[in-house]
Amino acid sequence: MRILVVEDDAETADYVVRGLTEAGHTVDRAADGREGLFLASDGGYDVLVVDRMLPKLDGLGLVRALRAAGVRSPVLFLTARTGVGDRVEGLEAGADDYLGKPFAFTELAARLNALARRPPLSAEATVLRVGDLEMDLLKRLVTRAGQRIELQPREFRLLEFLMRRAGQVVTRTMLLEGVWDFHFDPKTSVVETHISRLRAKLDREGAPPLIHTMRGAGYCLRAPD
Amino acid sequence: MPRTDARAREDRPRWWGSTAFRITLLHLVLTLIGTLALSGVAWWASTGFALRQLAQDVERDSGLLQQAIRIGGPRSAAISIEARLASDRSGTQYYLLAGPDGARLAGNLASAPQTPGWRQLRLSGADAGAGAELLALGTPLPGGGFLMVGRDIAPVRQLEGFLLSAAGWVGGVALLLGLGGGLLIGRGVTRRAAAMGTALARVEAGEIDHRLPVRRGGDEFDRLARRINTALDRVQGLMQALRQVTDDIAHDLRTPLNRLRQRLEAALRTAQGEADWRAATEGAILDCERLLDIFAALLRIAQAESGARRAGFTRFDLSAVAETVAEVHAPAAEERGQSLETAIAPGLEMLGDSDLVTQMLSNLLDNAVKHGRAGGRVALRLAPASSGGAVLTVEDDGPGIPAGARGAVLHRFHRLDAARATPGTGLGLALVKAVAELHGIDLHLGEAMPGLRVTLAIPGVTPGQGSGA
Repeated sequence: MRILVVEDDAETADYVVRGLTEAGHTVDRAADGREGLFLASDGGYDVLVVDRMLPKLDGLGLVRALRAAGVRSPVLFLTARTGVGDRVEGLEAGADDYLGKPFAFTELAARLNALARRPPLSAEATVLRVGDLEMDLLKRLVTRAGQRIELQPREFRLLEFLMRRAGQVVTRTMLLEGVWDFHFDPKTSVVETHISRLRAKLDREGAPPLIHTMRGAGYCLRAPD
Repeated sequence: MPRTDARAREDRPRWWGSTAFRITLLHLVLTLIGTLALSGVAWWASTGFALRQLAQDVERDSGLLQQAIRIGGPRSAAISIEARLASDRSGTQYYLLAGPDGARLAGNLASAPQTPGWRQLRLSGADAGAGAELLALGTPLPGGGFLMVGRDIAPVRQLEGFLLSAAGWVGGVALLLGLGGGLLIGRGVTRRAAAMGTALARVEAGEIDHRLPVRRGGDEFDRLARRINTALDRVQGLMQALRQVTDDIAHDLRTPLNRLRQRLEAALRTAQGEADWRAATEGAILDCERLLDIFAALLRIAQAESGARRAGFTRFDLSAVAETVAEVHAPAAEERGQSLETAIAPGLEMLGDSDLVTQMLSNLLDNAVKHGRAGGRVALRLAPASSGGAVLTVEDDGPGIPAGARGAVLHRFHRLDAARATPGTGLGLALVKAVAELHGIDLHLGEAMPGLRVTLAIPGVTPGQGSGA
């Protein structure tokens, strides 16, 4: 992926740029908002990482300017301010996701992957498929190899979240936010419990596992090879 | 301390700019104006009256003499005049009776301008009372001749002189009284202002519990002083609260920071290879996360306490939030072998910050599960209240909180001794309190016999439009 990191703090920027480069991405860095706007305005990046507070042009202004110019590259806000009001403000300005500092690198990488590979909204599917697993969003039906699987509403939401990001790493925090609307960590094993319940329902009678635990990172739903 | 000196110089009162000086001046001017006005009226009334008396006397005398001339002729009038002059010992009466040829028939006025009407004249050397000033009435006589009757004005002039000196005395006394009164009032004002200033300077210098003097009288200064004292009380309270919070934060962050440092030092000393280093690093990251949790909780409390979040309030499904929170904490309860009972009335909506309310309920359930009895029972209930709002209760069957400590546990970092063994930041209930206050929710910690029952009386809860699922 081509990634632009707009971050004025040199140490944070180095950390992010090095990590993303090691993960095989092509990374450019801008040190202030105006430079970021200049580099991003041709829309050539798959995803942008933008710090909220930047010299010359702040993150909010940068994203607003990009959106006004018709640049649709997904944007992830980085911020030291973790208030809920700030998050809403950032999303309203046109950012696609929001991550508070300090953050774990795996969390950033997972979110960037999810953002860059998000399917365009117009192509919203009504049926999701991963291997022999199928989810009909209209009838709210889940089948594996033609066999009906009964899910609780929350399990259905969890599976839908995973299937929409099939093949990508999804972190615990992303699941708490996306499935439970929890924007803080309740320090319970609710995610683990639901994942294991879902596994038990999906992988019956020696079927190959679909949900994989990525140690120290999160979970990944993918079709067996 | 040069800066203090400079400020003192700046503050040093210039006498002409002081309130005392202005009050004195104003008092003086008003007193003088008053005295002058009074003297003027007295002057006008008394000298005017005396002159009118004199004129009446002249008019009556002249009338009598004219009557005498009509009845008895000039001769009899001349006799009357001579008789009058003979009996006038004070020498204040003046007469002139002239014949048609202008020659003097009687009287003590040598010559007078023979013009009719009132006039004031000063006698020249040829007359009896040289230098005297007269008020005179001249009357032409029928068939020729002229009569002039005059009176000396000296008594009126004396009265005027007396009044003038009296006005001078009164004015002088008024001046002194005005000056004295003004100085007295001004000095009182200056003194009290100075006392307030001194007291405030002591507060400024750091004696934060010093207060302004208040007299029993209760005048404007006392009212002002009382207001300032109340404001100082408030400032002092806020300062103490802030200091308490700062102390708490410093203390409670030191412990985990110290643990982090010990872990890293131990790794430096004893780590023997990749696995050891990895374990130490992972442990250090966990310690950092604990610290970040504390910071996040502190920031949330500060946000809730600031009230700024009220601007972003929206209507949300409280029942759904309660269901989700119960679901999220169910695994934790299960791990401790507790049964989590829920009785949540569906579709209740409230106006507020759904994120903060979610965290508030999450903290309450977290507490109940952690401090409840292992293998016991935790309950979450939400029901509409008869008074219009809703009541939410969270119960456990643990040791509860002693009645005397229920206020204290709502403070930041306060942890009961019995709770120190369980993990936690000591901020959970402080956040609950802050969020409750932000939403006007009445928070009550009570007895569940056994255990703790937390009751939230939530105002403004309405049944929603949807099913609430």
